[in-house]
Amino acid sequence: MILTRQKIIESVDSGDITISNFESARVNPNSYNYLLGEDIKVYIGGSSDGQPEFETVTMKDDGYVLHPGSMYLGVTDEVIGSSRYAMSLIGRSSMGRFGLFLQISANLGHTTSSHQWTLELHTAKSIRVYPKMPIGQVSFWTNFGAVKCLGKNYALYNSPTERLLS
Amino acid sequence: MILTGSKIHDEIDAGHIVVEPFNVSQLSTNSYDLRLGYKYLKYREGVIDPKKEHLYDVYDIPETGLQLEAGDFLLSESLEIIGSDHFVPIIHAKSGTARAGLFVHVTADLIDIGSIGKTTFQLYATLPVKVYPEMLLAQVSFWRPEGEITLYKGKYQNTTGPQPSKTYLDYA
Repeated sequence: MILTRQKIIESVDSGDITISNFESARVNPNSYNYLLGEDIKVYIGGSSDGQPEFETVTMKDDGYVLHPGSMYLGVTDEVIGSSRYAMSLIGRSSMGRFGLFLQISANLGHTTSSHQWTLELHTAKSIRVYPKMPIGQVSFWTNFGAVKCLGKNYALYNSPTERLLS
Repeated sequence: MILTGSKIHDEIDAGHIVVEPFNVSQLSTNSYDLRLGYKYLKYREGVIDPKKEHLYDVYDIPETGLQLEAGDFLLSESLEIIGSDHFVPIIHAKSGTARAGLFVHVTADLIDIGSIGKTTFQLYATLPVKVYPEMLLAQVSFWRPEGEITLYKGKYQNTTGPQPSKTYLDYA
């Protein structure tokens, strides 16, 4: 089941959900609006072994323009997590209406993860994004079955993090 | 938990889910199929700035179909008015739509509980594809919430026609 606004607020109060810099004004009827962190990783080409390479841009107040045809890595400004609920991290409808993807098909956040989430930004139209703008939403879902963390990987990172090769 | 097709039907009869017009043939095992409406919206050229209102134009989708090219992005609407004060709707493409390379939403599949209206489709084509008014394009599933319900009263409530982003209101 998906948590309602009231249940999200209660769960933040009880510690079952972690959201840093939590503001109740940003709780929607069934999700929470997160902000865009100030660092964006911009694709600069492939390395000699074919792996994508990125350069980190730290946005100033006037933001940064994303263009179609590329993919950028961003990060949530907040630490978001839960040891009790699973999460789905997506964009706000207001950003989708501009053609901006905040994730590329991998919206699932595992129970027990708690960190600043990497965002996969892909846009259909050129768009300016700003640091700390409300850009996405995260919903929380009840589990069925015993919760057991089977390992963490990307959940250990708090900055925009590209694919790690094992 | 996700509602089954027969449960969706029961909840429509009980008035707990709004689907208008409702056609039993559009029910499927875990969702209700949505048709494409009659209008589409295209933003004008230029870099979008979410702090400002971006100009756009609204057109009719021709009966003979609207040709989208790979990379095209436009907004349209469902023919049906949908929503619920009791369940959370989530929008998906019909599998056939997706197999043709067409996204029906961009990143935001979740509809707030209490939001009732024609849903805005965010059409993003990865291949050339043609769309027609009234075609079966998408589907909506309904999910049970946990906790006391607060109904949506946001900026897209009770809308008909494709709704452009209104982020500029966040900065007013």
